[in-house]
Amino acid sequence: MSDLAIELAGVGKKYPYFALDNIHLEVPQGQIMGLIGPNGAGKSTTIRIVMGLVQQDHGEVRVLGRSMPAEQIAAKWDIGFASEDMRLYEGMTLAWHMNFIRSIYAKWDAPYAQLLLKRFGLRAEQKIKGLSHGQRVKATLLLVLARRPRLLVLDEPTTGLDPVARHEILRELTAVMTDEGRSILFSSHNTQDVEQISDQITFIDRGRIIDSMDKEAYLDRWRRLRLEVPFGIALPALPGVIGIRQNGRLAVATANAFAPDMANAYESSGARVQAIETMTLEEIFVANVERSREEVEA
Amino acid sequence: MNGGVIRILILKDWRLHRVQVLLSLAAGGVALALLQLRDEAAFLIGSVWLFVSLIVLGSMLPVSNVINERKKQSLAFIMSIPVSAVQYAVSKIISTVGMFLVPWAVSALAATILALSRRDIPNGIIPFILILFGLPLVGFCVVAGAALITDSEGWTIAATIVCNSSYGLIYYFLVRNPAINGTFKSPVPVWSAAVLTILAGEVLAAGLILGITFYLQSRKREFV
Repeated sequence: MSDLAIELAGVGKKYPYFALDNIHLEVPQGQIMGLIGPNGAGKSTTIRIVMGLVQQDHGEVRVLGRSMPAEQIAAKWDIGFASEDMRLYEGMTLAWHMNFIRSIYAKWDAPYAQLLLKRFGLRAEQKIKGLSHGQRVKATLLLVLARRPRLLVLDEPTTGLDPVARHEILRELTAVMTDEGRSILFSSHNTQDVEQISDQITFIDRGRIIDSMDKEAYLDRWRRLRLEVPFGIALPALPGVIGIRQNGRLAVATANAFAPDMANAYESSGARVQAIETMTLEEIFVANVERSREEVEA
Repeated sequence: MNGGVIRILILKDWRLHRVQVLLSLAAGGVALALLQLRDEAAFLIGSVWLFVSLIVLGSMLPVSNVINERKKQSLAFIMSIPVSAVQYAVSKIISTVGMFLVPWAVSALAATILALSRRDIPNGIIPFILILFGLPLVGFCVVAGAALITDSEGWTIAATIVCNSSYGLIYYFLVRNPAINGTFKSPVPVWSAAVLTILAGEVLAAGLILGITFYLQSRKREFV
């Protein structure tokens, strides 16, 4: 059996004004993969292909060892899927939805569902139309988590939530991962959420994956070097530096493959290194997207 | 074929739309009560009401059971459970058709029994009654097919308008057809070739529309 929860190889999907291009993505079992991208990047399309809801034009998709969309029924028994635009039946209560899901999934964990009701501050007898957006998201996640799925696929689960609700949901997702057999793929354009809980990160922009790797290793590779450049000194082009922005005597070099000897190289050229700073995932995300777009446009 | 999940989906649709079905049955009951009265105006109102209740149900069910599930974004929730697009289509066709067929069959049966039980109504009218009941059945299949195939409220409403505006026209041609109206006053039902052809045509049309709907639905590559 494969040790990958999700495997996409050469996946493409073409629409009149958007194309998902040659997507390769691997989510190891027991890992949380954060899929980050701006609006319209292709996150939802990728996730729908993973779920078998949209059929790819070409490429192979395997989820929990099952080929998608052909084996989607078998795969979905072990997948919990929720998306930002998913709605429950407004006229029915949360209890009705819980009974509905319980009637399908033999693995439904009723005590855990009751625990989640308390943790999320939900009332089972309340109709869905009376719930706030945050409560609806929590209700949907309750229905997903209490199935005890091996794989969680979440499309923008924290969008539109207040900080407290976001924290509650991220904490619950982290708790799910105490069982090492479980995996999560979740998309977001909120890099803070991804940075907080992901083991792996993948950047996607304009239908292309522009980077995918272990989060810690990835964050460790990126640095921002603040330089003072005397008049007449030209900064050398160093491998691993993806961009330099200069304003008068001050310059900022962004490195995506930082090595300590970069500072020496700049010092040797006559520049002075004022500071070497780590970057947040959001800063890396923006820099990466900008570089990718420049490469495509060039 | 994952029959358990399909059954659960059908029961879910019945649970969600039971009020509509019960209201339609109640409207049909009131119409039949009016038909029982030996008063010409009440008979006319009752017979119109009986068909209107079926036409309204046949127009509303596809919208609320198919279109609204997509429009109100509950489809992704349903498609997250272990079901394929084909199985979803099967469950929708069975639940929508079933919810219509119950009030339709009850009304058709009750109207036939009423015609048989009343001495002032010649039994020769029964084939015509059944032909008339076939019209909202075919119309419902057209509207349901449009809803399932197009997933579009606009196209579904267009199909509803076309069907609803054609009932009067079809009725006009039927009552003026000597092969149909010639046996109205017969003491026994006359199952002429014309009557059987029209009835068979209605059944065939309903089956064909649902078959095409299922075929096209099962070929969809994108679902949500």
